[in-house]
Amino acid sequence: MKKLFAVVKREYVQRVRTKFFVIATILGPVLMAAFTVVPALMFGIRAGGPTRLAVIDETGRMYARVAREINSQQAEEEESPEQQPQQPPAGLNSDPKQRAEQAGKAMQSSIAVEQAMIGNRSVDDIKKELDARVQRKELDGYIVLPASLLQKGAPEFHARNTADVFTKGQVQNAIYRAVRSERLVDSKVDEQLIRRASEPVRLRTFAAGDRRESKGESSFFLVFGIGLLIYMSVLLYGQFVLGAVIEEKETRIAEILFSSMRSFPLMMGKLIGVSLVALTQLSIWALTFIGISIWAAGTSISVPKISPIILMYFVIYFLMGYFIYATVYAVVGSMVTTTQEGGQLALPVVLMLVAGFYLSFSIIRAPSSSLAFWASMFPFFAPITMLVRIVTETPPLWQILLSLGIGVVTATGLIWLASRIYRVGMLMYGKKATIPEVMRWVRQS
Amino acid sequence: MDESKATLVVDHVTKSFGDFTAVNDLSLQVKPGRVFGLIGPNGAGKTTTIRMIVNITAPDSGRIELLGQPMTTAMQDRIGYLPEERGLYKRMKVGEQLRFFAELKNVNGKEADARIDKWLTKLQLQEWKEKRTKDLSKGMQQKVQFITSVIHDPDLLILDEPFSGLDPVNVDVMKETILELRSKNKTIILSTHQMEIAEKLCDDVCMIHRSRKVFDGRLREIRRSFSRNAVSVRFEGTKELLNDPEVVTNIREVGEDFEVLLAPGANPQTLLKRLVDSGVVISKFELVEPSLHDIFVAKVKEAE
Repeated sequence: MKKLFAVVKREYVQRVRTKFFVIATILGPVLMAAFTVVPALMFGIRAGGPTRLAVIDETGRMYARVAREINSQQAEEEESPEQQPQQPPAGLNSDPKQRAEQAGKAMQSSIAVEQAMIGNRSVDDIKKELDARVQRKELDGYIVLPASLLQKGAPEFHARNTADVFTKGQVQNAIYRAVRSERLVDSKVDEQLIRRASEPVRLRTFAAGDRRESKGESSFFLVFGIGLLIYMSVLLYGQFVLGAVIEEKETRIAEILFSSMRSFPLMMGKLIGVSLVALTQLSIWALTFIGISIWAAGTSISVPKISPIILMYFVIYFLMGYFIYATVYAVVGSMVTTTQEGGQLALPVVLMLVAGFYLSFSIIRAPSSSLAFWASMFPFFAPITMLVRIVTETPPLWQILLSLGIGVVTATGLIWLASRIYRVGMLMYGKKATIPEVMRWVRQS
Repeated sequence: MDESKATLVVDHVTKSFGDFTAVNDLSLQVKPGRVFGLIGPNGAGKTTTIRMIVNITAPDSGRIELLGQPMTTAMQDRIGYLPEERGLYKRMKVGEQLRFFAELKNVNGKEADARIDKWLTKLQLQEWKEKRTKDLSKGMQQKVQFITSVIHDPDLLILDEPFSGLDPVNVDVMKETILELRSKNKTIILSTHQMEIAEKLCDDVCMIHRSRKVFDGRLREIRRSFSRNAVSVRFEGTKELLNDPEVVTNIREVGEDFEVLLAPGANPQTLLKRLVDSGVVISKFELVEPSLHDIFVAKVKEAE
């Protein structure tokens, strides 16, 4: 036991003291935030100011309506979901002035529309002129509304960048709504009535049995974030174990270690030592998070609430995932001679983890499906999938206990198997072990 | 030999890897307070033998006993081992590194610290205690590695090629340390393929060639019993003068000297007379004991 403790202590102390640990602890949350927030933002933002569009209106009367629709559409998109619950649902966007202001704001930031004067010129001439302006980068594109627009005529959208599906969608939608309104007005429907009929509906979401409105998006991000955190920390600390094992093999320290202790306590000591490093890091993050939550409670910033029970499950499932994957990494490390080889051999393992992570997307949508059930029983997926189920729609306790039981049995079996391979693998220098060889070691030892 | 007095008994031990037999029916006994040379060319089976002694691998058949008890994990603490392939944690500080290896051998607390300081001082490494191992020269790392093998004051110390990579000054320091340990009645196994080193340090030797023991015993007795005489001569003339198949079996040039192996039963006087008669100026004519290398070569030839 003393020797096992010595190994644990060495692994822990040597790792926690490194610059890498300090930097990773600080940068970790930043990176996590970047991974979740940045892609979302990247879709949302468009570099280089508003998209400038010109409209050739051959109908002679549709420009105003199309321009208004483009702007109002943007106004709706600008409204963030966080702001909505604070407003009384009945009076949502009922103030025309506020609406106009928002429209203006949106116009500055996103799409700017102008009307191309037709005069006596032919449409082709105007198109040529606008093409030239697009060439000179004075415009980003233009819309042609044919005279037959209100019948069956198809509008045209000419743009420098036809890959910008967001602008294209906005334009299409705006023209559709403008045409629909115009057709209704033509059929003598009251303009006010059309506006009221087009009033958007907002769906309020509650967790059943809970009177407080749930923020679907933020809990989605919470689940996503937790899945990602498990995935990344298991991967990171698994790689640590891989690196540590390969280092001892490459530098032949293994020989001295084995001349002093048995392979099982050696491997366990290594796994436990690195797991304590991981827990230290996760604790620092958790405490920081709690600190921010307490601070944020006094402000208007909303921080997703994580109950202590979920935190507990997180630690349990992290440890389960860690011990399963890190053990596999330890075996891989003892079989290869270089880190590169280790990376290749460990690839199938990483793919399992990735599969578990992607499964969690469909599990968020149906946390009680049979797919979700089986995925959360399979020990290589369970650390992510079961946790996702617990956060979204907590399954019956027996299912949680069953998945934990399977996980513990799997981890124990793997560690037992690994310590047999480990000893032989660690003393084999200079060549990579093949799978049949490894099978023979297991039988022999 | 009386087994009960031996520090280590290896009894008819065999170890194979697949089709390859690394150690074949090896028996040897190592007595306390002596330096035991395990010698043989590279790949002879020395390292495999040592690994079985330190309980890293188990023999397929045969028996290994340390201090009268079968080898177990607990007995590992009585052995110090300096492997041929040196290994230290590159990023650890020297002091911490030694502390870790001491703890692995169940030496803890103040006792460990005291021993670390004693050894660092002895090998002139005290000022490097707080330095990272990778900042040390190769020779210094080797001395650190040596300390890890003696920090727990083992009864049996196994040194696999302890002098490789050391400069002459440190080779002397290492030799002195080994002899000092011997004087404290510790048992030392010295594994090497360098016969000259074994010749100077060892009390007993065991020679292994192609997984088998070629011979073993006290070095002095082996030399004495090796019946052939060898002569080292220096004279102003050519090698042809020595050619006489009835007297000489082998001639080896060593610098300006010729080392001449005499035929069995031949008298060195016959050779001297022959040289004197030829009229050359003789500056050296010395009877020498056969070198370990010569014995090894002869024995291997005999065995084949």
